[in-house]
Amino acid sequence: MALLPIPAGTQPDEAQSPPAAPARRAVPLAVPVVAGASGVVAAELWAGVHLSGLAPADALLRLARRAERFTPRVSLEPPDGLLLEVRGSLHLFAGVTGLRRAVTEECRRLGLTAVLAFAPTPLAALALARAGRAHAVLEMSALVGQLAPLPLATLRWPGKICERLARCGVRTVGAALRLPRAGFARRFGTAQLAVLDALTGRSRDLRSAFRARVRFRRRRELTCELENHQVILATLAPLFAALAAFLTERQCGVVELECLLDHRHAPATRCVLRLAAPMADARRLAELLGERLERLPLPEPVRGCELRSAALVPQRPDCLHLWQPGEHGGGLSSEASGLIESLRARLGEDAIHGLAQLEGHRPEKAWGKTAPPAAAGYRAAPRRRTRSPPVMRRPLWLLPMPRSLRVRDGKPRRRGPLRLIGEPERIETGWWDGEEIARDYYTAADIHGVLLWIFREREAPHHWYLHGVFG
Amino acid sequence: MDGDPKLARLLEHPAIWRGRSAARFAVLPSGFAPLDERLPGKGWPRSGLIEILTARFGSGELQLLLPALGALTRAAGARWCVWVAPPLMPFAPALAAAGVVLDRVAVVGGARPLWAFEQVLRSGACDAALAWARRPKPSELRRLQLAAERGRTLGVLFRPWSAAREASPAVLRLGLAPLTAGACVTLLKGRSTDRGAIELTWPEHRPAPLQG
Repeated sequence: MALLPIPAGTQPDEAQSPPAAPARRAVPLAVPVVAGASGVVAAELWAGVHLSGLAPADALLRLARRAERFTPRVSLEPPDGLLLEVRGSLHLFAGVTGLRRAVTEECRRLGLTAVLAFAPTPLAALALARAGRAHAVLEMSALVGQLAPLPLATLRWPGKICERLARCGVRTVGAALRLPRAGFARRFGTAQLAVLDALTGRSRDLRSAFRARVRFRRRRELTCELENHQVILATLAPLFAALAAFLTERQCGVVELECLLDHRHAPATRCVLRLAAPMADARRLAELLGERLERLPLPEPVRGCELRSAALVPQRPDCLHLWQPGEHGGGLSSEASGLIESLRARLGEDAIHGLAQLEGHRPEKAWGKTAPPAAAGYRAAPRRRTRSPPVMRRPLWLLPMPRSLRVRDGKPRRRGPLRLIGEPERIETGWWDGEEIARDYYTAADIHGVLLWIFREREAPHHWYLHGVFG
Repeated sequence: MDGDPKLARLLEHPAIWRGRSAARFAVLPSGFAPLDERLPGKGWPRSGLIEILTARFGSGELQLLLPALGALTRAAGARWCVWVAPPLMPFAPALAAAGVVLDRVAVVGGARPLWAFEQVLRSGACDAALAWARRPKPSELRRLQLAAERGRTLGVLFRPWSAAREASPAVLRLGLAPLTAGACVTLLKGRSTDRGAIELTWPEHRPAPLQG
């Protein structure tokens, strides 16, 4: 899933709708809730969380993960800030007060002390929180008034700039906002002006969204030591059941699955399953892992097992065709990737490959191996003809290396004399990469009528080689 | 009732069995008119195992199949055409020149070819699968035949000529011997076919003239 920046400012869908009627906000004023005179509710409301005091390094990430339950739009402001866009979820948490209580509760559970402020722009919410003012500014018109008394340090500008501003007598956000824009940009930099614009909502503030990395990881300790592969696979069954539930819940599949088998002394045995396409079918995954496990030598009996997934991949459910593949143009769906998986599980990663034609006159370099053909998304053969203009006749089989032929009376032999057919084709190329060839290729028939593709080197001593079979 | 083409097409479904047509099954034109005349159903079967017996590797057995393979891979919604443990590497430019769409071609590596062949046939992911085997057991052949029926795949097994005397569950067996510009095909087994040799000529039997 791509991480899209969250635009602050108006949302397109909400911009079209008429301004909402001022809602009756009966908020117990434990903290000041500031509403402007206009009564127009801003399109966005950001909650800025500032972690004060000593917070462990990963506290912010843990908090961000927990905060995803308040809103899908969570953004990190390292090292100590977190932003949540909560306009859409306010009503679910009984307004600002309820949300404040819920977020504070989350922080308390993680052992963090935090200041929480609400404002229509992300930077303003953060600045208020950094200043330790747990305000809730709900409307755009009230924003500047609330920001004005904040010290400039809350914007975290470079120290040099803050010093220069202080020398001019500018120590608060309000004073900075009162300076003429052009002069401010010239003397203190356009970046700082952009921050002020973002602070007051004059320009849009793009935030990258935080997405928690979700992975499956489950352990099972065994009460006895196991050696039999079948039994080990059976003990993995509950883990696979959990994996199935996990994947179904998230509508995701895995492309990589790792199984760790613990031993008493030896290091844990790893078994990694890599798949051609995302798969969510835990029973099939168990089958494939079973194939892998069977070929895996175990140094010692197994005492515990663990199943881990790599990053999850969104799973698109298979579209079932009316016709099965092969009937009246019924196409491929999941059969192809299933086949690749089974072959790879038993025969190894390079069990199956595709073929491609490459540009080049040297027969050895005219073809290449590719990844197996695309499983899905293939509808019809391309209309264009791939047949290049006058193709010389090529054999259907190519030997991996040209095989030397015996010669008698100047004629090549292979289980008897070879009869040359037609004119030779000269292939003389490749001087630029050190693998130069200079050959005259002939079609030849052996005494049984099998057609061969043979060549004679142009360089002395003019050896004959077999290079292909016409088949 | 038989005049309606739509209905006729529906009734061609292999799962529909009609009393008065015992031997109706989907076929694929072989590309050789004299051969089509003699093959049961006027073409290669779309599903099932066939055997091609040759005295020597390279007697023209691929030439015989290429028109059909090309047509299969060019069709809309084509499935794969898989080569299981070929004795040499199929040469991509020659296949492309023969009209085979390389996008639909896959090659499966060498270890345990018969097991891989059965998986390929059974998977339903392939229109055609080719394999080479020296001495498959009759039970293995039976499994292959059932797998090909199940996956609706044309399975082609290339075997040495000496296997002609053995019984086989394949739906069709042909013997092939090279001629100067073609091959002599002998039908060894097939539903409702008369035996006998057919002489075929390859479409491009002559080597192309030298360029320039």
